[in-house]
Amino acid sequence: MSEQAMSELPILVVGGGPAGVAAAVSLAEAGLRVLLVEQRERLGGAIHRQPAPDAPQIWRGPARHRRNWTQLTSRLERVAARIELRTSSVFLGVDGAGRFLCEDRRAGQVFARPVRAAIVAVGAVERIRPFEGWERPGVMSAGGAQVLLKETGRPPEGPIVVAGSGPLLLAVAAQLARAGNPPLAVLERGKPWSRPKALASLMMAGPQLAEAAAYATALALNRVPYRLDSEVLGVSEAGQGLAIRVRLGTVERVLQARQLLVHDGLEPNRVGISLPAPEADVPVVLAGDGREIVGADAALLDGQRAAAAVLARLGRAVPVAALEAALGKARAFQRDLADALKSPPTLPSPETMICRCEGRRYADFTALPAEASAREIRLMGRFGLGACQGRFCGPTLAELRGEPLPPASPPRWPLRPVSLAALASFSMDQTET
Amino acid sequence: MNPCFYWIDRPVSFRPGETIAAALLRAGIADLGAGGGIVPGRVFCGIGACQACVVAVLGEGAVEACLTPARPGMRLAPPPSLGPHHERAGHE
Repeated sequence: MSEQAMSELPILVVGGGPAGVAAAVSLAEAGLRVLLVEQRERLGGAIHRQPAPDAPQIWRGPARHRRNWTQLTSRLERVAARIELRTSSVFLGVDGAGRFLCEDRRAGQVFARPVRAAIVAVGAVERIRPFEGWERPGVMSAGGAQVLLKETGRPPEGPIVVAGSGPLLLAVAAQLARAGNPPLAVLERGKPWSRPKALASLMMAGPQLAEAAAYATALALNRVPYRLDSEVLGVSEAGQGLAIRVRLGTVERVLQARQLLVHDGLEPNRVGISLPAPEADVPVVLAGDGREIVGADAALLDGQRAAAAVLARLGRAVPVAALEAALGKARAFQRDLADALKSPPTLPSPETMICRCEGRRYADFTALPAEASAREIRLMGRFGLGACQGRFCGPTLAELRGEPLPPASPPRWPLRPVSLAALASFSMDQTET
Repeated sequence: MNPCFYWIDRPVSFRPGETIAAALLRAGIADLGAGGGIVPGRVFCGIGACQACVVAVLGEGAVEACLTPARPGMRLAPPPSLGPHHERAGHE
């Protein structure tokens, strides 16, 4: 390809949350063409998720997030001519020829486009610490419940218990309360009072602290108990709902609920995304929570940082010292938060399902030879190779083995189910047809 | 009246713009059936990552219920060919 043809190719940005949109806008403002791909119908990502057209907006979120998003979307509108936006389009992976494949689900067509560089900003996945029965219908991730709540504006029906660890428990519980169905209880496994140093540093964080206080107020007004040093031990079916065996400090109890929402922190959604060498012809850069859990505020900055890295590769260096400094602060905040809520690992019971995709339990894991290789764990144990490609059992396996399973090499694509019809109507470059 | 799709044979109404997952849950359908697998499907992560809510759309393919907008008249069922027992699915 000639240098001129190359310079006319777009930069691919995967993911329309704050990091991806910030990256796309920064590149377009620098005069480059951008192809922005988002799997849902609307931009926004987890933090700025917009309600469906006719749905009520029950929670508008902290003012600073709204302001950030309004500013970003108005910048996006000003450079819209240089950004080709493909919504309802799912990133499938990189094929053997290095092409970035996406499926336009609305058109039912897989497409690949030659690109000059790619920024992957696909956000985080939730970490789940498994317990007996976590795979049952009625158990949902707290983030998953938040998606439904933000998009539909309606809370799930019936009694809800929220459990696990991390600030998202508070946020989701407060949003459920505002939407009219406050949870029975919020169970946080951590014991922050036992980590005064981390707690003291957290108290220095301005906006996040105000946000947490707003959530705590919403819970207090609705008399929702927030219990520290508490966790779910197991779940079984009970009539139309769930019997949830919990530990509250040193006391065990059974709570009856219709829904159990679980969440144990966030992991970058890195599965299946292989990064070429930094000097590769088509550089690939990660951004936002998909690179490192930095939070919504810093995701905007990280998107700009990723755009700056691409611009630098194209010979147009821009200063990033201020961005790096702000990211350093966000990193310190996340570290303090993790420290404050840190809890010792719990050994699953033999019946606890570790891999939901393949239905594999902890007893199946312990039946493997102690020296089983990553390959044997996958092929004999059938852990870490199901439909989710190990996104959910990965962190558990890493904890049980003492080291993560190395990523499958080459990565398995498609990362998502794709119909043969969509593959059959594969299009290389729609601009040339 | 709201439009509807079919979960196996049951009509499920949905509001325009709603995902399949939102409509199923509102109709009280949390257990999405084991299909060809051994663990029943369910809506879980909401972002297309866990693949636990993948449903088969008659005449189309398999999609994540949590990502896919509901359309009138779609016929949905548990996916027959996911999970460790897929080799048996054709004979059941």
